[in-house]
Amino acid sequence: MITFAFSFFFPFLLVMVAGQSIVGLFRKNVGGWRTTLGLGFLSALIVVIPLGGLPLARWLISINANFSISLTALVFGKVWENAAGIRLLDRKAFLSSSIFGLTAGLALYPMALGLGRLDPYEFGWSFSWLFVLLMVIIVILLFTKNRFGIVLVACILGYDLQLLESPNLWDYLVDPFFALISGVILGGWLIRGVRSMRNHGHSECRTPL
Amino acid sequence: MNRRTVIVLSLATFLLHAWPMLRWLSTLDQEPVTFAVYSPSAPADKDPPHMAGEFISHDPGLGMVHVGSICEMSDGGLVACWYGGTREGARDTAIYLAVRAPGESMSWGKPRVIVSRESASKELHRFVKKVGNSVIFGDSEDRLWLIYVTITVGGWSGSSLNAKISHDGGITWTASQRLTLSPFLNVSELVRNNPLPLRGGGFLIPIYHECLGKFPETLWIRTGQGDQRITFRKTRMAGGRSFIQPSVVACGPHVAKAFYRSCSDDKLIGMAATGDTGATWPEPQNLELPNPDSALNALLLSKGRILLAFNDSKQARANLRLAISYDSGANWRRIAEIENTPGQEFSYPYMIRSLDGRIHLVYTWRRKRIKHVVFNENWINAQIEKASK
Repeated sequence: MITFAFSFFFPFLLVMVAGQSIVGLFRKNVGGWRTTLGLGFLSALIVVIPLGGLPLARWLISINANFSISLTALVFGKVWENAAGIRLLDRKAFLSSSIFGLTAGLALYPMALGLGRLDPYEFGWSFSWLFVLLMVIIVILLFTKNRFGIVLVACILGYDLQLLESPNLWDYLVDPFFALISGVILGGWLIRGVRSMRNHGHSECRTPL
Repeated sequence: MNRRTVIVLSLATFLLHAWPMLRWLSTLDQEPVTFAVYSPSAPADKDPPHMAGEFISHDPGLGMVHVGSICEMSDGGLVACWYGGTREGARDTAIYLAVRAPGESMSWGKPRVIVSRESASKELHRFVKKVGNSVIFGDSEDRLWLIYVTITVGGWSGSSLNAKISHDGGITWTASQRLTLSPFLNVSELVRNNPLPLRGGGFLIPIYHECLGKFPETLWIRTGQGDQRITFRKTRMAGGRSFIQPSVVACGPHVAKAFYRSCSDDKLIGMAATGDTGATWPEPQNLELPNPDSALNALLLSKGRILLAFNDSKQARANLRLAISYDSGANWRRIAEIENTPGQEFSYPYMIRSLDGRIHLVYTWRRKRIKHVVFNENWINAQIEKASK
């Protein structure tokens, strides 16, 4: 029951972000408790509206039933930022999440889809080195005051509560959309970094001695 | 984050990891998994060779039927299921079930739909475009299990597996439960061949992945005592793009042989053996038997012999033959031809051995019917004698 109820949460957050973006086209401030409450009510209504015999949220779940807790936390962070003006995940945490999403995606998907004999997905079914590695990563992130550590705590909490349809830890940490978005974000940062370095280099060359 | 928050969250992390660790530790003192091997006894000499066949699906006007499976119920009755529709992958495809009551003179009852795309969609609370392969089997608690394929997007590579259970011989079924088996949108997981029962409950079900890679896998599935919730995990049998649709035969408590459909240019049946109850499998080796990229099925006979039903060709599914191995699958002898009509299709064999010692073979007959052929070991022995003359 908890799994079924939770399956509406990610679609709800997506509709909420979309709603905040639309409001942002007309108003500078998309926050405030009235706007947030109104948008929240409207988003909840939209995701449960039946369309072709299924609530709208379940159409999204038909494509992917296991949106990771990491991605859910990132979208929740965006909704919270829009609503309350508080960034739950700072730049450091956001960069860490992108590195984590891309690394986990690259470690998991190629092999799970048949590249080689080893299937890393097997390590997520029950306690294994994957759990130990996750614990070490979380503790390191927490002691370096990286807020992405809190997101990973939420992942293991979600796993213990079996919030997702999947009983495999990997699905709580990463999903294909999170890995893809992480890749795009890191790629964007890399391109901007290279451009910035190039511009910086050119300006140095042009500086008269 | 202040220091206190960091310490509290770190402690929470340890505690949250403790739960899965304790569950894992509690499994360590359990007995190691073994196959519940059914060692068939040799047939009595007084049993005359027997072989008979009949159609299970009665409606050849349906369009097409495919992928039959069969199992025996505790009362000696038989139950079979398959999928059918106007064409393979059509939206009107449904999974049918037919029952044959115990008794020599009984024939198959009228097939009825047990899963349609509408019913699957309703039970799984998601869009289902079509349904496909299914396997039916019974457990020691007199329950029937159905593992079946649904597709939301695309073709067979978009398949996901689902499970449901019947407590009354297939009359009513529990709601379907989705089995998440792949991290990539949970697609490309299919089922075809017989499960192996495990001592202490649960099954090893041979499944396969068919997307960018094509490889065999094992699904470990069970329910708790009296528990409706199905628990499962998956391990890989091989990688690459060469072998799918494993048919696994348990030859001992920890030993089993797997025979694979070939997807490679070699067009030869693959084989591998496990010595640790299916935990690990070596790379498959090619047998000398051909395979036209079509399903095959193996069954353990008395005296450790293995019977194989397969399409004996590298090109077509126009024949269906039986072969026997006396050395755990290393060498094979063709013993009988069940079907052979050029231009037609006879495929996807599936065999079980009932408690009375008879072997039940179901297969797709010209894609129009599901045929049930029953024979005993003395008929096989007679075929062996005939073949050696």
